[in-house]
Amino acid sequence: MTTAQHPGSHASADDPRVTLDEQIGVFEPIPPYPPRTEREAEFYTLGDGEMFINIGPQHPSTHGVLRVVLKIRGEQVVDLDPVLGYLHRGVEKLCENADYHQAICYTDPLEYVSSLFMEWAPVIAFEKLLDVQVPRRAEYIRVLTGELNRVMSHIMFVGWMALDLGGLTPILWGFIERDEIVEMLAGVTGQRMLFNYYRIGGVNGDLNHDFMSRLGRWMSHATSQLEAELALLNENEIFVRRMRGLGVVDSETALRMCLSGPNLRATGVPFDVRRPDPYSVYPELDFDVVTRAEGDCLARYLLRMDEIRQSIRIIDQCLHEMPDGPVIAKLPRLLRPRPGRAYAAVEGPRGQYATYAISDGTDQPFRMRIHDPSFVNLQTVGLVMPGNLVADTMAVMASLDPIMGGVDK
Amino acid sequence: MDRALRRRLDGRFSDVLTGPIRQRHDETEIRIGPADVAQVMRALHDEPEFRFKFLADLCGVDTGRVMQVVYHVGSDTSPDWIRVIADGLPRDDPRVPSVTFLWKGAEWQEREAYDMFGIIFEGNRDLRRIYMPPDYTSFPLRKDFFLADDASRSPAMGVRHLEQVHAPRNAAPDDVVRQATSS
Repeated sequence: MTTAQHPGSHASADDPRVTLDEQIGVFEPIPPYPPRTEREAEFYTLGDGEMFINIGPQHPSTHGVLRVVLKIRGEQVVDLDPVLGYLHRGVEKLCENADYHQAICYTDPLEYVSSLFMEWAPVIAFEKLLDVQVPRRAEYIRVLTGELNRVMSHIMFVGWMALDLGGLTPILWGFIERDEIVEMLAGVTGQRMLFNYYRIGGVNGDLNHDFMSRLGRWMSHATSQLEAELALLNENEIFVRRMRGLGVVDSETALRMCLSGPNLRATGVPFDVRRPDPYSVYPELDFDVVTRAEGDCLARYLLRMDEIRQSIRIIDQCLHEMPDGPVIAKLPRLLRPRPGRAYAAVEGPRGQYATYAISDGTDQPFRMRIHDPSFVNLQTVGLVMPGNLVADTMAVMASLDPIMGGVDK
Repeated sequence: MDRALRRRLDGRFSDVLTGPIRQRHDETEIRIGPADVAQVMRALHDEPEFRFKFLADLCGVDTGRVMQVVYHVGSDTSPDWIRVIADGLPRDDPRVPSVTFLWKGAEWQEREAYDMFGIIFEGNRDLRRIYMPPDYTSFPLRKDFFLADDASRSPAMGVRHLEQVHAPRNAAPDDVVRQATSS
């Protein structure tokens, strides 16, 4: 009996004509279209003894939805090609179709671990466009909450990195600290992760008793708790020997790759946006720009730990020097800045968050460019991985600390 | 505002500037033509009086009439950011030299600008779409690309969502890239 295939029928898994390969969707590394560029043609041509393996897009160590195609020879990585775009939402286009207050809300979910920094950059850019004077108390509150967010983000970095290397304890310990900070910030902003707290001209709401009492309790044991937590990894021989000398980036290469933030300072370049191009009240605060010379994964880890200590110093100063006064400038509800351009960069836990805004005199930004450090930093994986082992890809990627929400925008 | 920087820029680049130097807050803005990008960026990067080693941002802008590529560079010699605007790229065939010979890290940012605006960066080895799928044909951040719920703003044409309207005549975007990279 002939089995005439009905044109509309789909092949089911029970159908004997469908092979097992088709059912599970075998990974085809080579794209089904001709190569578009020189580099793509070169990458997707296999040499002697080479093969492709695929990591992601659904893989726990890619910190989101990232696909990496690895070209390997034995255990060694020859080349790799990250494939982005799985989380692309077109936020820049959405911001062009929203008014100035609404545009800030769109930037929050890009950076879901340290969202205060992602909203800080556009807020400063819009304030430059409008020539707004921000009240001093609001500036101090921004620095205070921002540094808390930096601590929280770096604690999560430790947890994720240890998790990618196979250690489960640090992330559980980290979540204890993180939850205290998250609850604290939720007390003042009303949200646990996507705070949406900074407004053009100030912040949304003054610090309240809930926040201050939680903060006081946390500050009383923060340093000792953190040191105990860091001793888990700092004195762990397996961790230190695994990270030392892995994924080395020198300072020239770091500048050539446009690295920023802790990844840049771990190579010995003392570039911190808070120093050469200060914003908010950072010029009045006393803190060190920590650098390390080694540029390997261990240096990137230890540098972030030093930054936590600096952040606690800044929080302490903010609490002592916090002035009284209003927390938001008086502004009309509908903002129409004069035509012009403004660029604002802030130093976040992953590097330089920046916004370039163009106003054409209407109530919506004509163009709003959102610069995310994770996007730029992630390129470095392709530069440092060739020659290393496949298993080290996870360690190097984790040490660069990308957030895929920001990478894909 | 860094007045000294303005004098230095004026003295060094007076022959290539296409507009006045503007300064506001902590930004210094210069405008050049697309042909001078490589020369100006190399001078800003290498020359000891500038040493702008830090490429903070690279993005495309569609003004509606022309396309621009905007570079922000930072340095430890000046508290200002320099904004270099490569102005006057024709909308039907925007081309500008790549700066990947100075900053390899600009590669993905140029890919993003190509993906969103269709700007061709000559000299970028890997100029392919980065966010949108490979078979996508339009450039979403251009001003003539309207969101589906934004039809009221379009000039009496209704919704033109996902429709190819901006590629150069008789050329698929991929062909354009191959020409750019093979030359």
